Amino acid sequence: MTLAAITTQTIGAGIFSSAFLLSLLIWVPVVAAVAIASMPNPRGRYDTLVKQIAFFTNLGTMFVLFIAYNQFENFLPTMQYEEKVPWLPAIGVTYHLGVDGPGLAMLMLSGLIGIASVLASLGVRERLRSYFALLLLAEASVNGAIVARDMFVLVLFWGASIVPLALLILGWGGPRRVAAAWRLVGYWGLGTAALVVGVLALYAAAGGRTFDMAALLEATLSPRIQLGISVAMITAAATRLPLFPLHGWARDALAEAPAGVTVIVAGAASRLGAFLLLRVVIGGEPAAAHLLSPVLAALAALTIGYAALAAIRSLDIRHAGAYLAMVPGGVTVLGLAAVSPLGIAGSVLSLFTGGLAAALIAGVCATLSERAQTRSVQLLGGLAPRMPNIAWLMTLGAFGLLGVPILASFTAEVMTIFGAMKNQPVGGFAVAIGLALTAVALAIILGRALFGATNPDAPGVSDASLGETWYLGILAGALLWVGLFPGGPKIPGTDVPLFDPGFMLQMTAGVSDIASTNYSIPIPGASP
Amino acid sequence: MKYAVLAPEALVVALAVVILLTGRLGWLPRGSRAYLPQVTVLLVLVAFGIELWAGAALTTYFGGALVQDRFALFAKAAALLASAIALAATDWSAEDSMHLGLAMPLLAAFGVMVAASAGDLLGLWAGLELAAAAAVVLVSLRRPDLALRLLVVGGVASGLLLFGFAFLYATTGNADLATMRDVLLGRTPTVALALPVLLLVAGLAVRAGLAPFHVAGLAVGVGASPLGAGLVVGLTALASATVAVKLVAALVSIPAAYAPWTYAVAAVAIVGGGAAALAVRSPRPRLAYLAVGQLGWIAAGLATHYRTGIAASLFLLGAFAIAATCGPALLGRAEGGEPTIAGLGAVRPVRAAGIALAMLSLAGAPPLAGFFGELAVAAALAQSGNFMLLGLGLLGSVMSIAATVGTLRVLYVQSPLEEARRGAAAALPAMTTLSTAGAVAFCLVIAAYGVLGNPILGLADQGAEALGLR
Repeated sequence: MTLAAITTQTIGAGIFSSAFLLSLLIWVPVVAAVAIASMPNPRGRYDTLVKQIAFFTNLGTMFVLFIAYNQFENFLPTMQYEEKVPWLPAIGVTYHLGVDGPGLAMLMLSGLIGIASVLASLGVRERLRSYFALLLLAEASVNGAIVARDMFVLVLFWGASIVPLALLILGWGGPRRVAAAWRLVGYWGLGTAALVVGVLALYAAAGGRTFDMAALLEATLSPRIQLGISVAMITAAATRLPLFPLHGWARDALAEAPAGVTVIVAGAASRLGAFLLLRVVIGGEPAAAHLLSPVLAALAALTIGYAALAAIRSLDIRHAGAYLAMVPGGVTVLGLAAVSPLGIAGSVLSLFTGGLAAALIAGVCATLSERAQTRSVQLLGGLAPRMPNIAWLMTLGAFGLLGVPILASFTAEVMTIFGAMKNQPVGGFAVAIGLALTAVALAIILGRALFGATNPDAPGVSDASLGETWYLGILAGALLWVGLFPGGPKIPGTDVPLFDPGFMLQMTAGVSDIASTNYSIPIPGASP
Repeated sequence: MKYAVLAPEALVVALAVVILLTGRLGWLPRGSRAYLPQVTVLLVLVAFGIELWAGAALTTYFGGALVQDRFALFAKAAALLASAIALAATDWSAEDSMHLGLAMPLLAAFGVMVAASAGDLLGLWAGLELAAAAAVVLVSLRRPDLALRLLVVGGVASGLLLFGFAFLYATTGNADLATMRDVLLGRTPTVALALPVLLLVAGLAVRAGLAPFHVAGLAVGVGASPLGAGLVVGLTALASATVAVKLVAALVSIPAAYAPWTYAVAAVAIVGGGAAALAVRSPRPRLAYLAVGQLGWIAAGLATHYRTGIAASLFLLGAFAIAATCGPALLGRAEGGEPTIAGLGAVRPVRAAGIALAMLSLAGAPPLAGFFGELAVAAALAQSGNFMLLGLGLLGSVMSIAATVGTLRVLYVQSPLEEARRGAAAALPAMTTLSTAGAVAFCLVIAAYGVLGNPILGLADQGAEALGLR
């Protein structure tokens, strides 16, 4: 194919071809973090430079990612941009990276969240070098966990995000930061331990020769072993996403962390839980997936219901935001519990939209509380005229959570609930009730904080700064973009993409491959 | 040429003797003394280079009393590298005597080298005692009372080991490790074998300071000078682990005689080390407890009695030796507890990075040296079906990482002490070119150990194979 032919299909195709494209997404932030941490900064002279390095690192990785997104072959179900280098051959570890449609969706999410988190952190004043170095390390570890195609590498990056994020909360968090950080370390540490147990059980059961994900997931295992491994993986995912009852870290960590860290935890790091379920349980252990799908549906419904009720009862706006940020995770898991192509595709889209919506609602609550100088819901009231930007963005965040049409989360929720209604009708119905409760919670919170009567005793308020508006705007804008152009904008009168090949097309590449593992599983009672 | 393999040992011993003599006789002019650490580190690195270059030759000396194989190469290289970096990173203003401070780590490293090449029980015992004696000398400079305690506890350990060796000799009729292995091949474990093995496991656990036998050793490590603590927590434990690996190789045909004890010791050490690290706040004891936890992982790998498990243990042992020996040296004066290191990330960034990496590696946090080793051991445990110990190990690691986050917070998030409030116990470490270079080298080694781990794990695997393991 000639270059001219390629460029007529997608602008950007053929420009960038790197054998280390995915490595760039991991190691460039690491190098930038080391550079920031080691550069001298006498009396804060280079504070602006530190912020610029962090911002342009994220912008650069987003640029690379966008080109990768454009060059992605969405008709191929296999992994793309693969990198495979033997690492520790004695125990079967390979530095194996790769990305398919769902992985690409997660990478796009991580890239957007990375930019948003830096913009949300522009107000940080103390120990800037440490802050941005840790933020970049956390982003790198999330990217690494997304593209890992070797279980050892997955464990490495999965666990590597805990320490930087805990330190960010400990160092720059709110008044209850110590408890929040310990809870995060405890729950995520427990989840990592469960992941290690699951991975090593899989490794041992598959013969103990390789950690390669494809080889391990293709190994023929007895249903009993599959069940044990899946329970460990679900535990790991539930601590990270989080799912009820392993959600204990979410309220404190998301409420006490600074806004930039809240965005990265709620938007990207926690989505890894659902991504793990998709990759390993749904894509790799079909017998266990069918057996455990009612459990997953129940966990999804309980999570959404609990989060909505807890948000209704919250007297702290950041606690309410933290609870509401749990809702999209439940929707994603419901789609996975459906174990059907439609449900799984909905889940993948929900990974992206849910990450954006969770980051948006948790971030906007953080910014609102900062700008209103109080976290008490009882003191907030009638803020919409006085902080119009935040009011609009909070409303969009609420719509994003609920899946209002024209936002991408609408498509995701329709797909997951429709997908679930066939195989998990009870779970789907329960989740729908949970979403109705979420709507009630949002109506109460928005009504009280934005549109209620003004409280004369409340401290003075101000609207979001330019940086805050931008970071929240990016999250809301991405939800709108994918909602308005799910197939990408086309050159008028043609089928040629204008510059975006279409998010729905890209993210579904590989979904049929994941879903196909579940076709051959006989469902008890079903006719052959 | 055959004896070139012994050149590192000769160089290290000669260097230690020369340093002791120059210190005692005052040969060196005052102006030249400042260069002594640089010269020592350089010569240890030369010994390390010779070991890597010439140590690949497989040979025996003194009628089989010393054996040079891949295992010896691995352990000797680890001891030399750990000593070199520790000596380079040391803040000499925090040490009581430069000459003894330079010589004792060399003698301890020599002890490890003797144990690593030992072909019989006598060599094992001699190497271990030499390493431990060097630690006692260094500790006695600052705290004679603690040195006495270390001596008494060491005596108990030594007694247990000697009883165990004697029983083993009596049971097998031979002190040579290879012959002992051949004699035991095909024999069923008996009480007569299980008892000496229990004594040996207990002796080594006491010597290495493993929980629950860690009380005395850790107290000594905490009260000693930074290098003294490094010798107790790092090199002495390395010597004990080296002896344990060689004994496991000799007893591998009767795993039932030692595996249950070793599993129990490993479980208690990992969980106890992690819990204790979480309970204390002062950085030096916390580092020592983290080291105990990682030693437990090494013991767990040995208990698997498979080549992959023991190779993983060796791989982890290398990471442990470097982090546990250099960690206290990087911490410097930390007698004042947490405030001593508060905000060190701002005022001494390289040293703070070294401390952070040492603790994270000992805790098993990704993506550092300790994580790779612990996950390799965990893989071996999974292969051997020991998911109970694996679960306990992961619990211990989670506690260790949580404890480490607490120290990192003090290092990087808290503000440094005001100069006026700093006493002698909380003095900032002196910055020299050598100490900065040592800290940088440490950070590079710990960060690259796993990332570039293929040749190291390959060598560890060859080491396990050289011990006759399949």
